[in-house]
Amino acid sequence: MDPLIETLAASDPAQMMRSGRWIYAAVSGGHVLGIALLIGAIASLDLRLIGLWPTVPVPDLARVLVPVAAIGLTLAMMTGLLLFLAGPADYLQMRLFLLKLTLIACGTGHAVWFHSTNSFARPGVALWRVGLPSLLIWLAVLICGRMLAFVD
Amino acid sequence: MLTRRTLTFAILVGGFATPVLAHHGWRWTSGDNIRLTGIIQSASLGNPHGVLQVDADGEVWQVEVGQPWRNERAGLTDDDFAEGREIVIEGEPSADVEERRLKAERIWFDGNLHELYPGRS
Repeated sequence: MDPLIETLAASDPAQMMRSGRWIYAAVSGGHVLGIALLIGAIASLDLRLIGLWPTVPVPDLARVLVPVAAIGLTLAMMTGLLLFLAGPADYLQMRLFLLKLTLIACGTGHAVWFHSTNSFARPGVALWRVGLPSLLIWLAVLICGRMLAFVD
Repeated sequence: MLTRRTLTFAILVGGFATPVLAHHGWRWTSGDNIRLTGIIQSASLGNPHGVLQVDADGEVWQVEVGQPWRNERAGLTDDDFAEGREIVIEGEPSADVEERRLKAERIWFDGNLHELYPGRS
């Protein structure tokens, strides 16, 4: 095993996650809450960007949903790191897990790119071209994450 | 607009139609119990569940045991799953027996019974 992985697996948080009953349950629950906030907010905003509810102003909607999605993503990442620590080597050998991490990087990078180069008030790009890839990426992340429990 | 809307719903529905394969719960198992006697080759214990590699007459089986609290409730410690120890397991095999995967319901060490799922037959 990689020495770094071994160090991670032997750390206090990792041992707590491996052996604790309620801590593992609480962190799993926090992960689901993070995903719910992230996907709930992102999917709503992306559907608006794709063209649903054309009378709802995008900047107003974004002012609510972007921070909710960002908080959800942060919570999901922090709890996800703890869940990963319960069995780092097991997760790293799963291609689906690596695919999921890659997709999260794509989704996060896509969002950061958009918000750093555009604003919803004066978008420099057709909004459905932003919403559709975002929706597809985050749904793919969710499916990969759920399927981790059902494959080797 | 209509085509984009249709596409969106197709994506959402597709997400829920993903087939369920195996691992958690009992849906992947055969529904019938088998009993396996073998030697523990290795054990990976901890959340979300422990897995043993058990050599039964030259066939290596992957045996799912409980998470720490379930093993503890059955009177088992991590040290019980020592490499080279003989173990008897009763539980449900994967519906595809060729997978040689077994979810343990009860375990015997040295003739002592440990119930992982009390009340489940």
